[in-house]
Amino acid sequence: MIQISNLQYGLGGKSILENINLEIPDGEFVAIIGPNGAGKSTLIKLLLGIWEMQQGSIQTDGINQQEWLKTNIFGYLPQHEEFDRSFPATALDIALMGLAGKLPLATRFKPLHKQAALTALEQTGVADLAKRLIGNLSGGEFQRVLLARAIVGGSRYIILDEPEASLDRPSVESFFALLKSLNEAGHTIITISHDLNVLSRYCSFLVCLNRTLHCHNHTELVSAEIIHNTFGDSVRIIEKDY
Amino acid sequence: MFEYSFMLNALFGALLSGLSLAIFAPYVTLRRISYMGEALSHIAFAGIAIAILLGLNLTFTTLVFVVLISLVIGWLSRKRKLHEANTISIFLSVSMALGIILISISKNYSFDLASYLFGNVLLITGVEIQSLLILNVLNLAFVLVFYKELFYLTYNEEMARVFRIRIAPVSHLFLVLLAANIVINLKSAGIILVTAQLILPAVIAFNFVHSLHRAIVTSAIVAILSATIGFALSYNLNLPTGATIVLFEALIYFLSLNFRGKQNA
Repeated sequence: MIQISNLQYGLGGKSILENINLEIPDGEFVAIIGPNGAGKSTLIKLLLGIWEMQQGSIQTDGINQQEWLKTNIFGYLPQHEEFDRSFPATALDIALMGLAGKLPLATRFKPLHKQAALTALEQTGVADLAKRLIGNLSGGEFQRVLLARAIVGGSRYIILDEPEASLDRPSVESFFALLKSLNEAGHTIITISHDLNVLSRYCSFLVCLNRTLHCHNHTELVSAEIIHNTFGDSVRIIEKDY
Repeated sequence: MFEYSFMLNALFGALLSGLSLAIFAPYVTLRRISYMGEALSHIAFAGIAIAILLGLNLTFTTLVFVVLISLVIGWLSRKRKLHEANTISIFLSVSMALGIILISISKNYSFDLASYLFGNVLLITGVEIQSLLILNVLNLAFVLVFYKELFYLTYNEEMARVFRIRIAPVSHLFLVLLAANIVINLKSAGIILVTAQLILPAVIAFNFVHSLHRAIVTSAIVAILSATIGFALSYNLNLPTGATIVLFEALIYFLSLNFRGKQNA
């Protein structure tokens, strides 16, 4: 379970997150929705420990976030993975990255690590691409490699930042179906998304954010009115039809 | 051509110099920090000037100065106070200005700016060859021991942190060793050759191979070939050694582009 209490965050005098109090129960498929600039990515970066907290607290499994992160990792899939397309890494190398932090400094991967990475690639449906260079993968294939990296470390939590951004429509459907199967296998999924169409079918828990929290509840309890309040007039933009 | 021992020394010097930089070159190229090589070699100028002014050991003082500045640059960019490229440009110009002022204050007119720019491998001493030898051993040990950390640090520093890969000590050590490579190579290679040798062998290597460890080996082979053939050409044609090595390497680069085209087709 993730508990966020009185979280505030500002940048350059501008408030980005205000008074966030949120509980994410285990085993949910959580969608964080909100307009651009609502603080969704900031919330995730604070959760992951990429940015330092200013005020408030986050606890995971009842342990203070900074402490928890010393011995645990979140499976994370960023919105845009910055990399050079000519970088000489294979899909297997990228999947192995999810295990690298578990190995001591200055040690090499062993066959059991490679096997674990291959199993993760198999789970995300791209084991046959293990030896392919990442520059030669399509957007959808690369997303699945990144998902393999997110699950290989054995984290119960998978956090995703707009995974649909770099996918075409059929790939979005199959990607969310894959996330749903991981969710059913026991992972708590937390994803930022703009695609309400997909979310309504796959998500069980909705977090509506627009600098402050507008709702956090099971999907069926969230009304269209609350969503409209979260987005304001920009609601039509996010209800784009493919 | 080896009837003079200094010629043999010079060849060893050119080989070891090229080799030390070639091992770092794939990382420098992939991290797109080739400007770092150029900047640190310019920043060294202020270190040299401080050593001359205070009558200190030239290599040691410059090394300490460049390592300190490179760590400050790393720290400033990590804290997001300044963009790394901007930080480096500021330190580059300030160091050059400081160097010029200090040299003029010290009234040491024997300082040869041209040899600092182009280097002169023919003047290399036994002690300097020993330093280069130690440097090569350190470089090799570094990339072998920290292969995993260096790989992911080079791929994406922020994601490496998210996945708790212990890149911080490796990142610092990388900067320190890079600075040491630049300073120790400066006398024999000069700014121009140091910068070239930190890029060319790696971009040539990546036109032939598509894995990091193979790129390191290929980069080293390119450096050895260029140093040997460039050295022989410069001796026989009576041309400056460093410049001949760079031009020979550039020639291999243009030929390798053709190879890359065929591979991608």
